[in-house]
Amino acid sequence: MVGLSEGEKHFIRGGISQDLRADGRRRLQFRAVSVETGVIPQANGSARVRLGATEVIASVKAELGKPSILHPDKGKVSIFVDCSPTAAPMFEGRGSEELSTELSVALQRCLLGGKSGAGAAIDLSSLIVVDGKVCWDLYIDGLVVSSDGNLLDALASAIKVALSDTGIPKVNVSLSAATEEEPEVDVSDEEFVQFDTSSVPVIVTLTKVGKDYIVDATPEEESQMSSAVSVSVNRHGKICGLTKRGGAGLDPSVIFDMISVAKHVSQQFLSLLDSEIASAEAAE
Amino acid sequence: MEYVNPLTGFRVDGRRPNEMRQLKGEIGVVAKADGSALFEMGNTRVIAAVYGPREVQNKGQQVNSKEALVRCEYRMAEFSTGDRRRKPKGDRRSTEISLVIRQTMEASILTHLMPRSQIDIFVQVLQADGGTRSACINAATLALADAGIPMRDIVTSCSAGYLCSIPLLDLNYIEDSAGGPDVTVGILAKMDKVTLLQMDAKLPMDTFENVMELAIEGCKAIANYIREVLLENTKQLECQRG
Repeated sequence: MVGLSEGEKHFIRGGISQDLRADGRRRLQFRAVSVETGVIPQANGSARVRLGATEVIASVKAELGKPSILHPDKGKVSIFVDCSPTAAPMFEGRGSEELSTELSVALQRCLLGGKSGAGAAIDLSSLIVVDGKVCWDLYIDGLVVSSDGNLLDALASAIKVALSDTGIPKVNVSLSAATEEEPEVDVSDEEFVQFDTSSVPVIVTLTKVGKDYIVDATPEEESQMSSAVSVSVNRHGKICGLTKRGGAGLDPSVIFDMISVAKHVSQQFLSLLDSEIASAEAAE
Repeated sequence: MEYVNPLTGFRVDGRRPNEMRQLKGEIGVVAKADGSALFEMGNTRVIAAVYGPREVQNKGQQVNSKEALVRCEYRMAEFSTGDRRRKPKGDRRSTEISLVIRQTMEASILTHLMPRSQIDIFVQVLQADGGTRSACINAATLALADAGIPMRDIVTSCSAGYLCSIPLLDLNYIEDSAGGPDVTVGILAKMDKVTLLQMDAKLPMDTFENVMELAIEGCKAIANYIREVLLENTKQLECQRG
């Protein structure tokens, strides 16, 4: 945990109330983002995102599977996050389980939509190969390599970048649809289909310290928070998910205000991320 | 399957029998850790982070208060292998490798200089393509050096195998899963002492000597490379100080 003296605590809180944080940022300013794509060659898509000293890797793997009986016309997506002990000694052994689960669930809530799959970041019906028989299962794995606060936002942007890097092999189905047998599929290893990732949201976590909210909090600032709200917003300015974690209770009007601030900040963050993605793809 | 082409003498990935994969070492990849390093051997890629020396966190684990307690955890990322399979944390293979790395590193750390303290070594495999054990030990050496932990010598590790009646250096995943013998050696480079030796499958005595000799040669080459990386890093640090 972060050990801070009374003076340091006062300095952090005072800085936030005067819109000049300990590292020189303003309240609604992110740290420098750097993006790299294609870092895991075995995966269908992967990305490394650095947000200050926080570093996360996301990989997307696609496997052919069977759609669930309830939704025969949709593919499946699952998200797992692991916090490596390299990030902090407290993640050793089973120490990371609680945080990993919390992050996985928060990401699932923000990116996968409801139970029916409606409102998901990716159009699940685009993952279908043969209705009710064959579909793509997407496994999204996040790994926290280095932790310096704001893990959720970093993971969400890494997943967004990894998805835009993902190519799903083109599949040729050779069998008439009338037969009941398992259809034969021929997975092409040359042609790939890209996803439409324009509606994949980003997550902006607003951390409330004193009366003000800040984005992209460092662990020192997180230790001073009274509560935090994570809002996921897509490019069209639509809210895709919302999580309030820990801390004191909030007045509903404050929450509405936080959402509108998050919406505003997210559009800037999205365009920043998009330009980073473009330059990462150009570099590759 | 032919692991060495009888006509050209090249291996499946185009290497010669006594050729190593490309090495890459990078220091300081995890900002928050006391020491950290990335090490690549071909497609095998691992990150090591060192925390410590610091106060012993769990007093029960301290066996000898006159020496530092060295701990190690080995973890594989979900996406590190070709086929994705969720394994429970702390499976037997990981526990064994953690132990092997700990024992190997303990042999070179001057633990008596840091009584009542603890050093944690965490290794995370990002990509596994054979020889993760060796890559982890090499990464751990770099990370320990980065953390400024006093060591007797640089520990390096390399594996060698024996397929198609030819000793092969630094096996990749395909060669590793061929079922032939796999000899992993760890040495203290300057002192010329073996700190780790593991072999599976059987091998005639005189062939074993050749294979081990080859692995030791590999370790020495890695030691040279690691020394270069450390020197380069020190130069950079010197420049930054101005």
